[in-house]
Amino acid sequence: MSDPDTRKDQVSLYKRAIIDAFLKLDPRLMAKNVVMFVVEIGSVITTLLWLQALSGHGEAPAAFIGAISIWLWFTVIFANFAEALAEGRGKAQAESLRKMRQDTEAKKLREDYRIVKNSMPDNSDYAVIPSSNLRKSDLYFVRSGDTIPLDGEIAEGVASVNESAITGESAPVIRESGGDRSAVTGGTVILSDWLIIRVTANPGEGFLDHMISLIEGAKRQKTPNEIALNILLIGLTAIFIVVCATLWAFSFYSVEVAGFGQVITVTTLIALLVCLAPTTIGGLLSAIGIAGMDRLIRRNVITTSGRAIEAAGDVDVLLLDKTGTITLGNRQAVELIPVDGNDINDLAEMAQLASLADETPEGRSIVVLVKERYGLRGRMVGAHETGPEMQFIAFSSHTRMSGVDIGPVSIRKGATDAIAHYMTENGNSVSPDLKAKVEAISGSGGTPLVVAKDGKALGVIHLKDVVKGGIKERFSQLRRMGIKTVMITGDNRLTAATIAAEAGVDDFLAEATPESKLRMIRDYQAGGRMVAMTGDGTNDAPALAQADVAVAMNTGTQPAREAANMIDLDSNPTKLIEIVEIGKQLLMTRGALTTFSIANDLAKYFAIIPAAFITTYPALAALNILGLHNAILSAVIFNALIIVLLIPLALRGVTYKPMTAEEALRNNIIMYGVGGIIAPFIGIKIIDLLLVLMGV
Amino acid sequence: MQPESVPSAFRTQIRTALIIFLLLTLVTGLLYPLLVTGIAQVTFHGKANGDLIIHNGSIAGSALIGQPFSSPGYFWGRPSATTSYPYNPEPSAGSNIGPTNPELINAVSARVTALRAADPGNYLAVPVDLVTTSASGLDPDISIAAARYQVSRVAKARNISETDIAWLIDQNTQRPQYWLFGEARVNVLSLNLALDDLASHRIFVPVEKERVPDQEIATPFPGISEQDIFQLALYGVVLILLLVPFGRFMARVYTGEHTILTPVTAPVEAWVYRVIGTRPDEEMDWRSFAVALLVFNLTGIIVVFLVQQVQHLLPLNPAGLGPVPLDLSLNTAVSFATNTNWQAYAGETTLSYLTQMIALTVQNFVSAATGMAVLIALIYGLSRKSTEKIGNFWVLLTRGIIILLPVCIIISVILVSQGSVQTFSGPVTVPLLDPVKDSNGVLVTTQTIPLGPAASQVAIKVLGTNGGGFFNTNSAHPFENPTPFSNFIEILAILVIPVCLCYTYGRMVGSARKGIAVLIAMTIIFVPLLGLAIWSETGGNPAFTPLGVDQTGGALQPGGNMEGKEVRFGVPFASMFSIVTTATSCGAVNSMHDSFMPMGGFAQMLMMQFGEVVYGGVGSGLYGMLVFIIIAMFIAGLMVGRTPEYLGKRIEPYEMKIATIIIIIPIVLILTGTAIAALTEVGKAGVLNPGAHGFSEILYAVTSVSQNNGSAFAGLSVNSLFYNLITAIMMVTGRYLPAILTLALAGAFAMKKIVPVSEGTLHDHRPLFIIWLVFVIVIVGALSFLPVLALGPVAEYLQIVSGGLFHV
Repeated sequence: MSDPDTRKDQVSLYKRAIIDAFLKLDPRLMAKNVVMFVVEIGSVITTLLWLQALSGHGEAPAAFIGAISIWLWFTVIFANFAEALAEGRGKAQAESLRKMRQDTEAKKLREDYRIVKNSMPDNSDYAVIPSSNLRKSDLYFVRSGDTIPLDGEIAEGVASVNESAITGESAPVIRESGGDRSAVTGGTVILSDWLIIRVTANPGEGFLDHMISLIEGAKRQKTPNEIALNILLIGLTAIFIVVCATLWAFSFYSVEVAGFGQVITVTTLIALLVCLAPTTIGGLLSAIGIAGMDRLIRRNVITTSGRAIEAAGDVDVLLLDKTGTITLGNRQAVELIPVDGNDINDLAEMAQLASLADETPEGRSIVVLVKERYGLRGRMVGAHETGPEMQFIAFSSHTRMSGVDIGPVSIRKGATDAIAHYMTENGNSVSPDLKAKVEAISGSGGTPLVVAKDGKALGVIHLKDVVKGGIKERFSQLRRMGIKTVMITGDNRLTAATIAAEAGVDDFLAEATPESKLRMIRDYQAGGRMVAMTGDGTNDAPALAQADVAVAMNTGTQPAREAANMIDLDSNPTKLIEIVEIGKQLLMTRGALTTFSIANDLAKYFAIIPAAFITTYPALAALNILGLHNAILSAVIFNALIIVLLIPLALRGVTYKPMTAEEALRNNIIMYGVGGIIAPFIGIKIIDLLLVLMGV
Repeated sequence: MQPESVPSAFRTQIRTALIIFLLLTLVTGLLYPLLVTGIAQVTFHGKANGDLIIHNGSIAGSALIGQPFSSPGYFWGRPSATTSYPYNPEPSAGSNIGPTNPELINAVSARVTALRAADPGNYLAVPVDLVTTSASGLDPDISIAAARYQVSRVAKARNISETDIAWLIDQNTQRPQYWLFGEARVNVLSLNLALDDLASHRIFVPVEKERVPDQEIATPFPGISEQDIFQLALYGVVLILLLVPFGRFMARVYTGEHTILTPVTAPVEAWVYRVIGTRPDEEMDWRSFAVALLVFNLTGIIVVFLVQQVQHLLPLNPAGLGPVPLDLSLNTAVSFATNTNWQAYAGETTLSYLTQMIALTVQNFVSAATGMAVLIALIYGLSRKSTEKIGNFWVLLTRGIIILLPVCIIISVILVSQGSVQTFSGPVTVPLLDPVKDSNGVLVTTQTIPLGPAASQVAIKVLGTNGGGFFNTNSAHPFENPTPFSNFIEILAILVIPVCLCYTYGRMVGSARKGIAVLIAMTIIFVPLLGLAIWSETGGNPAFTPLGVDQTGGALQPGGNMEGKEVRFGVPFASMFSIVTTATSCGAVNSMHDSFMPMGGFAQMLMMQFGEVVYGGVGSGLYGMLVFIIIAMFIAGLMVGRTPEYLGKRIEPYEMKIATIIIIIPIVLILTGTAIAALTEVGKAGVLNPGAHGFSEILYAVTSVSQNNGSAFAGLSVNSLFYNLITAIMMVTGRYLPAILTLALAGAFAMKKIVPVSEGTLHDHRPLFIIWLVFVIVIVGALSFLPVLALGPVAEYLQIVSGGLFHV
């Protein structure tokens, strides 16, 4: 995906956000955010009071009311700006996604077209129409050079597809009908061959369209945590409205009994209310939510609901596929073990010869191992010009062996039982030594590959799943965060247990079937746990549908993608861990700013209370511990500016490091709780000093 | 169970409520006081009947009730603020004059002048207790210093040598009780009787006068003696010792496990359930629970109201008191049903013995048991999963009584042993040794001392954190709280259930540590405010110093701000009582809060404004605290990046909505109520003290009723139609709305699954969360009430500090 972070884009992004900040002043929009709506009402009232003061009947000097009023408006606009900026950034991301969905031409197949295996439709079979006219379950045709107009599932054909527009990965991928690679995404380009594709979503209803509308805010539904937090914020605002409204009565009474002084002005009360109301978090709350989604898109993950991101933060069980997530995905040769007293070098040479033409990852790993460990140069095929001709035997499902015949010498490698069969055919029996070594490898979770020469076993190649570097550390971090990792594999228990131990997962599910996966998820959920999993195959779909957070690989099948609530465009199974972190970061940012916002209020009291009542009780000057001159205005300005200062934090999210709940809480309390108490004392004092310098 | 139609279910509830109400009235309103009276009359006959002094064969007065003295030849007691004549026990009263009220300064100044005029040539500084009114107006004691100050005057008037008089004082000095409790003091009536004996040669001063050496009291802090420190520590020790056994006992009673009382209670319980037609395993969902609670409490309000209306027709009314005015009856009924026990009435002159027993004492029991039942329902909600059932209200109510009743009997007997009255005899009339003229100039020669079954009601008043006293001045009245040791027991009794319930809670949710963590959080808030009050009061009133008043605490006098405090308790334990009573929503008082220094009043008000969750009323304090924990846990949960949960229960929008409303209710009630009172003429009419202190009176009153505390800055005249109605509304709203919402919360939590504990779970018993919880409670309280407090006690305090006030 292209990044919009170029200078020009940035400038237009900010311009747009500033304009939007004003457009969002529309009370109908503001009413959705109760905290900021209260501020807007306050701004309107102070503006009216200012006008009244201009006419000479004000409750306070017009300059004071005017200044307060302006900064209250700024407070609202800054909050709107934060939201607009977050939306803008999300939109920029979405826009680049949408570029791929520009209306293209589609070759729609006739309604009565019948798919014939391996047969390409001809010109008469389709009509060229705008892609927006395609509907779900229509069939269309694409061939090399075409851009795929809409998401769909391949009905027929095999083709190489450039998906770099979505994934950023330039290497073409193969897409074919049936199996786990049958889904195609709109906007990708066919490089070779052709496909018949069945439309899976009407234009504008695809996954991506859903995501775009989410970011644009129109359909952004508040997540449960956001709603709960909002309730708390509304509650606090209600408290402060009561505090400020009744304060007028108390001030009135006090002036009456003290016999002198001035009743607190409405302007001061509104200023106090705005300072106390949790405007910092209230103003940034939706920006935080949008930014969380934006962060997800930046990592090439699209989702259909904000709820899923939030749920990701709560996940306590991760189901991870062994292959591709925990291991590199292919078994590799790690050791050569001669049997029956054969020479290791002999074994190495024969193993190499048998693998020269083997283009499978396993075969190549054998060549590499022999080269690196035993110093044998790779013999080029046909290098023995003078020697006997080499006849390579490819792997066949019949013999289940591969190898090479060099003249009369035949070298074979294969699974133990296949070679054993081959040996008995040649009149040899499996020696106890071979049997023991093969079992030792199996016992350790590896796969033994026996190398035989002329029907006699030379030794065994130990093939092993290789665990990805750093994955163990990753899992131990997850454990500290309270997340349990479970490895899912089709391997037998023994193999699974070995890999599980090596990778440091907490549990594993061996010989996994769709049913056993589903059952496992349900068991965890019944115990009150939240389960996340990744999947790509159709047989993953039930489990994906059951999981709380389900990430489908973009390369996955359509059923898998539909069952999931997130799609990883990179098809990177470890992405799940990042998704969890984004989810946590989202909640933490909200919590931290809430704490900060509330902690701020203490300093504002010390600024405003003495200033508000000093005429009635001069002794209250003792509470003006900051020695402020323009206490009320300074507090209001601080309150507005802090929103702007915290926009980057809201958009970026608080720094997230994997740690225990205890550590996270401590760090955040110190940073945002204690910091939130201290910061405004300093900030308000500085603003006050500046105001004095400016002669206010 | 067949689904019942709503009206028939409702009818069943009403029937059950009436039957159980009748049963509980019988047990707690009649059997309990009768039993205590029986024990008292047999074991402590003299003390239970007013501790009368028989002098030379006739009754000379009560050892606990002071008498007015004004002749120069008698030792004078403390100034008394009772009406018509000083030391009139009908009713007991404090001055309630605030520390910055010019009236107070004038009065003290006049008393100093009077003392000086009566004893020309005595230029000693006047001990503060001699020029400040006591809390009850009946304080029988003065400090040693106050007695010694008067030696020269009495000696001259009686023509007895000063050394002989000094010897007499020594003879009549009471040392701190059991070495540890209270102040050294002199009983004025006893001293004066002895003085008469000496003058009429009925006793003689021995030639070898044995002077008792003045006790050396180490005072680590001014006004606080070593004994005081020991006593403070003793509260901690005793509560810690009681925490586990009593907490476990309560848990066992509620869960129906075997306890020491089971042999007695099991058959009674079984019988009660059979009669009312319920079973312990027949549990309710939150709605039925709430309906049962409301029906039962409404029954209580109606009965208490009616009993007051017809008390003149009922027996046990030896003083012949008439029906109580309608608004006052309503206020009193609501006040006792809501566990507020706001005293708009003066007990001794308004309510008959029967009313006190079957109306008030019963409500003291059941309102406490109601609060505890709601708490247990919430605990069930938090600890169960996927169920609608949160317990059976009738069963929890009954079990609450089973916990309260035995402890009350023990406390009653201890109180009687100290001198609390427990009798059905009518008032006793005693002669005044030194007759005085009343405000109309008529000579008063006798004093009529009201008696009654007080100890049994005082016991439940403190244990159930009710606070409604038998007498007007509550636990300042010598018959409610006769000695420093009874004071110790009362403070302990107020704290014991709220404190030990924390353990009960921990045990019932399966982790004692969680309960103890809550207790620690409460204590962290409690201790500094206790310290603030003690510091504020022992410091005395700076306005008195220029008048020649000695407020320095030491071995010979308690010192400090003695206005509205009793000599026997001294300043530290009057302050402690005031903080304990406001902390627990008890509302009993042993001193006049209105006369506390501004920061003392500030601490009391803040204690209530923190939501009455430290330690809070029985049950209600802890359930309020749990709501705060839910809020704290929510924000903390966000900060660790997980959907917040408490005890494995996810905190979702519904729970947040309820929790937030519960937190808001008292804040809105207090602030709007205070605003209404401060803006209306009827509201302002009740205010006694001028300036910021008068404002504090209104604020305190509204805070107290909203939080179901019941104590008052009693200078405010609250027995008016306006205050009787507004406080009744606030008491009902402040009590039942949060209680019902708490039940809804319990219901919502009970339905949830339990998220298992993992490394990602935020532990709620670790120090970090405790600190966080304290932070949240303090910040919510502070943010809501700092501005209003700034106009009340804070302004008053700063005025004193800046010296801007006393240019009178």
